[in-house]
Amino acid sequence: MRKISEGAEACIYKTMMLGRNAIIKYRVEKSYRVMELDSDLRERRTRNEARIQAELYEIGVRVPSVMLAGRHFIVMNEVAGETLNKIKMIESGRGSTAIRIMSEAGSLLARIHDHGISHGDFTTANLMLDRNGRLWVIDFGLSAFTNSAEDKALDIILMKRSVGEKLYSHFIKGYVGGTAEAGSVLKKLEEIERRGRYQTRTLSVG
Amino acid sequence: MITVGIESSAHTFGVGVVEDGKILSNVKSMYKISDKGIIPMKVADFHQKNAARVIRRALKESEAERIDAIGYTKGPGLGPCLRVGQLSALTLSRITGAPLYPVNHAAAHIEVTRHLFGLHDPLVVYVSGGNSQILGLENVPRRHYHVYGETFDIGVGNMLDSFARAAGLKPAWGSSVARLSEGGRYMRMPYTVKGMDFTFTGLLTNAIGLLKSVDKRDVAFSLQETAFSMICEAAERALLLTRKREVIACGGVAQSTRLKKMLGLMAGSHRAKFYAAPDEFNSDNGAMIAVVAEKMHSNARRSSGTMDYGVKQRYRIEDFDIYWR
Repeated sequence: MRKISEGAEACIYKTMMLGRNAIIKYRVEKSYRVMELDSDLRERRTRNEARIQAELYEIGVRVPSVMLAGRHFIVMNEVAGETLNKIKMIESGRGSTAIRIMSEAGSLLARIHDHGISHGDFTTANLMLDRNGRLWVIDFGLSAFTNSAEDKALDIILMKRSVGEKLYSHFIKGYVGGTAEAGSVLKKLEEIERRGRYQTRTLSVG
Repeated sequence: MITVGIESSAHTFGVGVVEDGKILSNVKSMYKISDKGIIPMKVADFHQKNAARVIRRALKESEAERIDAIGYTKGPGLGPCLRVGQLSALTLSRITGAPLYPVNHAAAHIEVTRHLFGLHDPLVVYVSGGNSQILGLENVPRRHYHVYGETFDIGVGNMLDSFARAAGLKPAWGSSVARLSEGGRYMRMPYTVKGMDFTFTGLLTNAIGLLKSVDKRDVAFSLQETAFSMICEAAERALLLTRKREVIACGGVAQSTRLKKMLGLMAGSHRAKFYAAPDEFNSDNGAMIAVVAEKMHSNARRSSGTMDYGVKQRYRIEDFDIYWR
């Protein structure tokens, strides 16, 4: 077992399980939180993440399949690929592949939303392109079962901030084409933006 | 070089004097808040009555014999209050002939902390009444404080104030919530973090609703722990994303001992150093405005475009250029 990354919330280890390459996501203890809040959060989030990921896998959304889940860890199938924020072509926003991928990302999010789920951190860092050019959604650590237009609109805002205007327009096209509920979500999005915060923001790190 | 800074964005009228980076004086007059909160026009009247006295005292304490530059808070803040500081600065500028510099209030809280500890590129946790943001310097398109994450609804300070009023506590509310929470026990409350953003209204509504049926101490304790944990989590995510080596907290709520302790632990766990200025610079004050105005004055040739000597109630920090080191 080898540690491959240390995120804000969890450590990721690489291992083998049932003869397949697997990833272990372990939610780390945080000394800054009171113990009750800390263990409550870690447990709830782990359970929630495993449940949502398993459910999306069931309905055929490309997410890593959950092999095993414990109180503070999840073992899942490894997806071999690169996250979109690390792919130059997507960063620069040029080419028909970038356009296809963003539009696919839009329709993927639409499917997730239609199933009553919000991702919670839907950025290019959590979309992965595998060797066969297929797009996967990863990291459901902040996801939730919800039908609120606001939660869904926030997913879109996060993506809007993580890509340029042109790619965002293709993303939105894919989203609108994928769900009948797009109208109310986009209306909510405008409302959130009108609240005054967020007016001049674009993401320049990552 | 001697610079005077005038701050009046909310209930404090503050004047500070700085000489070549050294803070010579930092005088404040604070409007006493009633249980109902702030009425901008009344506070502005109060500032108007005190302005000349506070300026004179700050100058006297500093023993400055001349003035080379003057800064004032352009925003964000309450319009009528900002106007008093702006007019005082304009008047002082007319009398002395010293040039005038409009300063962003939030940037001043950050810059004074960066200045005091000599930091280059910290991750910033700016927590005040009206705002709660996670920020850092970015160079594109111009050097400015970029907002990585922030509250989607209300600032953490105002959230604590609203709770304190509902619980019948006395101002200053932030510290009275902290006192009430001593010995309290944790109970689960709505915890909402979305990436590096967060919301407080759900938490506030829940806490106020519990006041009727649950021990006040437990409610206060859980509210404070939950809110501060949310801020820490958002900051932690930003720290790992930006890989900065230093974390600072500033703004009114950065006076909270508990929040500073939590942020210190969080930063330490990622081998980053944590800093917070003494309380005198985290509550509103004129010295921080003077510190920024001095940097603006000595780097004036690098500044882009002309200056606008107005006030701006909603002055976003991204729109304020940081053209000095």
